[in-house]
Amino acid sequence: MAPRETRFKCLHCGHEYTGTYDPDNVTERTCPKCRSNSVRRLPDVKPTEKK
Amino acid sequence: MMDVGRHPRIELMTFSEVESVTGYVGNFQVTVRKKARYVDASECTACAECSKVCPVAVPDEYQQGFSSRKAIYLPFPQAVPSAYILNMENCLGNNPIACGKCAEVCEKKCINYDDQDELVKIEVGVIITATGMQVYDPTEYDEYGYTRYENVITSMEFERLICAGGPTEGHFIRPSDRRAPQTIGFIQCVGSRSRDGRGNPYCSNICCMNTVKDTLLLCDHYPGIEAKVFYMDIRAFGKGFEDLYMRSKEEGVRYIRGIPGEVIENPDTRNLTLTVENTTTGRLEKHELEMIVLSQGVIPRQDGDSIRKLLTLSTTSDGFIMESHPKLKPVDAPTRGIYLAGCVESPKDVKDSVTQASAAAARASILLNAGKTKVEAITSQIDTDKCNYCGICAKVCPYNAILAPDRKAEKAPIIIQAACAGCGACAAECPQDAITMRHFTDEQMMAQIEAILEVEPHKHLLTFACNWCSYAGGDDAGTARLQYPTTCRLIRTMCSGRVDEKFVWHAFRLGAPIVLVSGCHFSDCHYISAVRWTQKRMDRMWNKLDKLGIRPERLRLEWISAAEGQKFAKVMREIEDAVKAVTTEEIEFTMKVLAEEEAKNKAKKEKRKAKAAAEVTA
Ligand SMILES: [Zn+2]
Repeated sequence: MAPRETRFKCLHCGHEYTGTYDPDNVTERTCPKCRSNSVRRLPDVKPTEKK
Repeated sequence: MMDVGRHPRIELMTFSEVESVTGYVGNFQVTVRKKARYVDASECTACAECSKVCPVAVPDEYQQGFSSRKAIYLPFPQAVPSAYILNMENCLGNNPIACGKCAEVCEKKCINYDDQDELVKIEVGVIITATGMQVYDPTEYDEYGYTRYENVITSMEFERLICAGGPTEGHFIRPSDRRAPQTIGFIQCVGSRSRDGRGNPYCSNICCMNTVKDTLLLCDHYPGIEAKVFYMDIRAFGKGFEDLYMRSKEEGVRYIRGIPGEVIENPDTRNLTLTVENTTTGRLEKHELEMIVLSQGVIPRQDGDSIRKLLTLSTTSDGFIMESHPKLKPVDAPTRGIYLAGCVESPKDVKDSVTQASAAAARASILLNAGKTKVEAITSQIDTDKCNYCGICAKVCPYNAILAPDRKAEKAPIIIQAACAGCGACAAECPQDAITMRHFTDEQMMAQIEAILEVEPHKHLLTFACNWCSYAGGDDAGTARLQYPTTCRLIRTMCSGRVDEKFVWHAFRLGAPIVLVSGCHFSDCHYISAVRWTQKRMDRMWNKLDKLGIRPERLRLEWISAAEGQKFAKVMREIEDAVKAVTTEEIEFTMKVLAEEEAKNKAKKEKRKAKAAAEVTA
């Protein structure tokens, strides 16, 4: 899979930011605000299907 | 090199490339592509007659493009084997057939235009990686005008110009007018110790002493030459290096502390004016020089990634290959049976390279002489009855120590014990729990979690810490007498990659307010890339917590190195506050939700089992 833009959220300070996520090359994440590594990659928002 | 070429027990394969490496310590199978050189090296006497008649001239890479070579050429004067080589691309150009002049004059008849690449398979016990480095290309430092001014050269180009075997036979001349310069400047740290996004942040180790040596050579060859060195620090830390530096100063070389901001050429004289802030005097200075040498740094080989993948190695943040342990195993690669020598591991000078190469050879010979090796005590084991042949274990193993299963043949994966390093990533990722880590079994881990959370679980911070970094970081905090909460409880794993999802769920089910997973920084991972699986797993667990209505903030992740005692203590203090913020209701809700989820999963499993049993009887 190709690298893509993803939202990240720091679980320590709550800071949210956009970064690149490459599933084939996972890199170390550090919150740019508080330097914590508890940075969650927020799930990709899927377009809602019409029923 | 000559000795190596002549040695009866060394087979030298030049102009060859490793295509694949399989196997493990003591039993590597290596496939080498011996490229077609179109000249029989065993017959060639290096008489040079072929080169004389060859009509194709191209820039000579070895002479940094200062002179030309022919399409059939000797790579460099001391090349081993001392035999010519034909570059077919240069030879043919756009023509479909070779002119044949070289073959006509070759008395030994050793030129063969139909020569083909040859794949050679060899079996070896150990591998020493000594693939070297590359020099930094200074073109992005546009202010120095390397691409614009002929008289701005790099230290490698200087080396060729002053060498007796070089294009000018050692007569040092400036390229614009082929005249010996009277004033010359050296700019240090080009591409090294840079924090502005250009070049590299690390020190290239060799450039300071290389410049000191260059200035001494100049003073020796051209008494009266005026040499100036612009630097930020002179790092002369090796044996005898300080003496050499002092000698250079005594010879009249001026060392000016300050990195130049700009170089401008006078189009009439082709002289260069360099502007620099002399940080010793605090003044802005201008220096007119006839020539400038850029002391370029050292970078990892740009094709190094293929070597890394072939040998399942990892790199440090600077791009050089990571050693097994920076202090205790500096020549061992993390993969057993592979050793490192020279600049593949970090920038180093000749002496350090020779020292490391000797050490690598000695380390390799220990293994080869013993003829056998002890496997790690902590390795993984597969329960073939539980395995469903999904192959995830083979995919996650950073050492390629697991031979993939064959679903059709119902053949379970095989763990090569000699290659397994014991990170435990396979055991943590196996969805069937079919893999057991010796000494870190699921039962042992669960028992530790239960013991920690037996009394007042809401008060304890359960932490999984990897053996090499985070746990050692805790030790570092302890020996430095740093204060951190007494409520933190550590469970040691060899690697954070061993932390199975079920350990975390079990801890939450037993009432843990917060669970912390900690491990090595990615660049320090002692198991090549096992730490990447920790990160992926954490994402999965955070998503699941969210889905179950549990705050993902209660599961934390921190990368703490062995030297980061300060960080360890800080993280523990900060998370202690988070522990206190978790309410009893929240913990009870989590326990209830996870217990229900476990019961549901159990019921599903039972149903599946019953269905399978019914199918069998039917
Ligand atoms: Zn943060």
